Amino acid sequence: MNLSVKIANVTFQNPVTVASGTFGHAEKYYNLKEVRKLGAIVPKTVTFYPQVGNPPVRIWETPSGMINAIGIENPGIDGFIQAKLPNFKKIGVPLIISILGHNPQEFVGIVEKLNNVILSEAKDLKESLDSSAYRPQNDRMGGIAAIELNLSCPNLQHKTLVAQDTQATQEIVKQIKTISKFPVIAKLSPNVTDIGEIALAAEAGGADAISLINTFTAMSIDIKTRQSRIGNFTGGLSGPAIRPIALAMVHQVYKSVKIPVIGMGGIANADDALEFMIAGATMVAVGTMNFVNPRAPLDVLEGITSYMKENKIADIKEIIGSLKE
Amino acid sequence: MDKIQNTYRVISNERLCAHFWRLTFDAPQLAQEVQPGQFVHIRTADGLEPLFRRPFSIYRAQRYVEILYEPIGPGTRLLAVKQKGDSLDVLGPLGTGFKMPPERTKQVVMIAGGIGVAPMLILTDILKKKKYELILLYGGRTRGHVYPMKEFKDSGVKVYISTDDGSVGSKGRVSVLFDKVHFNPLTTFIYTCGPNPMIKGVQEFAAKHNIGGQASCEEIMACGLGACLGCSIETKHGYRTVCYDGPAFDLEEVIFY
Ligand SMILES: Cc1cc2nc3c(=O)[nH]c(=O)nc-3n(C[C@H](O)[C@H](O)[C@H](O)COP(=O)(O)OP(=O)(O)OC[C@H]3O[C@@H](n4cnc5c(N)ncnc54)[C@H](O)[C@@H]3O)c2cc1C
Ligand SMILES: Cc1cc2nc3c(=O)[nH]c(=O)nc-3n(C[C@H](O)[C@H](O)[C@H](O)COP(=O)(O)O)c2cc1C
Ligand code: FES
Repeated sequence: MNLSVKIANVTFQNPVTVASGTFGHAEKYYNLKEVRKLGAIVPKTVTFYPQVGNPPVRIWETPSGMINAIGIENPGIDGFIQAKLPNFKKIGVPLIISILGHNPQEFVGIVEKLNNVILSEAKDLKESLDSSAYRPQNDRMGGIAAIELNLSCPNLQHKTLVAQDTQATQEIVKQIKTISKFPVIAKLSPNVTDIGEIALAAEAGGADAISLINTFTAMSIDIKTRQSRIGNFTGGLSGPAIRPIALAMVHQVYKSVKIPVIGMGGIANADDALEFMIAGATMVAVGTMNFVNPRAPLDVLEGITSYMKENKIADIKEIIGSLKE
Repeated sequence: MDKIQNTYRVISNERLCAHFWRLTFDAPQLAQEVQPGQFVHIRTADGLEPLFRRPFSIYRAQRYVEILYEPIGPGTRLLAVKQKGDSLDVLGPLGTGFKMPPERTKQVVMIAGGIGVAPMLILTDILKKKKYELILLYGGRTRGHVYPMKEFKDSGVKVYISTDDGSVGSKGRVSVLFDKVHFNPLTTFIYTCGPNPMIKGVQEFAAKHNIGGQASCEEIMACGLGACLGCSIETKHGYRTVCYDGPAFDLEEVIFY
């Protein structure tokens, strides 16, 4: 049975990964043997400079979901490379590094620093980058398999997010593609009128894959104080509550572009994940449900495997985009 | 994917007074590893309502693990219907528990508001092995928030109680009990847990009298594992997660508004 999938020149042992910002807890808690079964790991978004994050309250529970306004608390790219990356590398699973710049220069700066990680480690860079299969045992890759651009970042001239503007999306993807030593994945926001258009723009900019969806802008109000319950005023909605919308958007994007799609939004189990794959996702990520059931990504993987067995499917690619119309 | 996620069997679930319940479950490994002030993160629903797990301090860890809880919303009400033999999906032990008192300490004063008394019994079980004078100042809202507290008394703890309405013990908030104790800046150490305004009051009192201590803090949690960075509170050293860096912090370290 073949579960492996490909994005650009990178092969992942299976399609199951975790959504940025929902995985990354302490080594002392996780069972390495189990975490190693994942197809890839996506750490929390890293910015150029360290960010302390938003004031509390940062999260609020909603019907079958949650609102978060963490404010991308992170140690900055230098801190990430020094303090976090070595631990992530030890897991031995391909890493997809999620990054966000508050302007194009910051994006470029982060990518240059990530390029340097492999430059400094690779004796023969050319060879390791040209090899088609990712080899976790090959430390020269720095463990980094791809870069994910968190495009829910400011689009300076337009007072919108980059992910809400086709031109800005295309430009930033193009700029990163010309310098990145890694495949580039564009992560889209669902807070748009036509997500297919944005995906097309990312593809035109040269993106190697599209991941979606990020969270929906959302609020919750305390009627006693008549104030927002969220320290940052608004936040982003995630979890099973958004799944049907995420599924429709993943399918729409799958129909619009030719590059692979990474689907996420409320995935809790294998059935949910299979829906996304049938709708067109090449990979699937578990986000919010990691908090409820830390085993969710493994349950997804095991469930996909048994589905393939039961339905005598030899290759996972037979499932991807197999929706009948 | 976590070593600390397990399913345990409920041993008992009993009501101790109008508002407080005690749930006991069979978790030998957890009982052995847990430090006072650490907590467990329990999935109360089988489905998605409520979605998040709920954090509970460990009340006691002997043969079995016990939590003391107050049904106040959907999650805790689901706990209250658990019965002997039911299974319980638990993450834990989690977080950073209480630091032990400094060398010079002779007197330990535990100051608890409501269900904030929960982490004080497991703490007592450890501290009673040393020769401290142990005192518990407990503030409950009403008579229904006061239970016999026999385990504390049996461990040699002097227990003083206040209720907002004066129905049991002194009338008023837990701070009305402060003059029952002879605090000494050098030899007294405080542990406190309860609603934030109460901890803030204890913090101000301790600062004024130059007494050191530890506070167990609360914030709404999603993961409980330090992954989502959702449960941060402000401290003198910047934002810290209650679930991983805490719940126990140095009393003077936490910033309240
Ligand atoms: C480290 C820690 C230890 C705790 N130990 C205990 C304990 O030993 N016994 C006990 O009864 N309770 C304890 N709590 C509080 C307990 O977690 C909440 O009472 C519970 O989550 C409420 O859930 P619910 O669904 O019943 O009510 P909800 O309707 O969800 O909440 C009722 C009220 O509690 C608040 N609340 C919700 N979640 C939390 C939370 N995680 N922390 C604080 N307040 C919250 C809500 O804002 C609301 O005002 C602890 C909390 C923390 C953070
Ligand atoms: C607490 C929290 C933090 C998040 N942080 C990030 C982040 O740093 N970068 C990012 O691209 N997405 C972030 N997300 C969005 C998720 O990666 C994901 O796109 C979204 O939550 C939808 O998936 P889900 O419903 O499975 O959670 C975060 C989501 C949550 C709930
Ligand atoms: S609850 Fe997720 S970091 Fe504390």
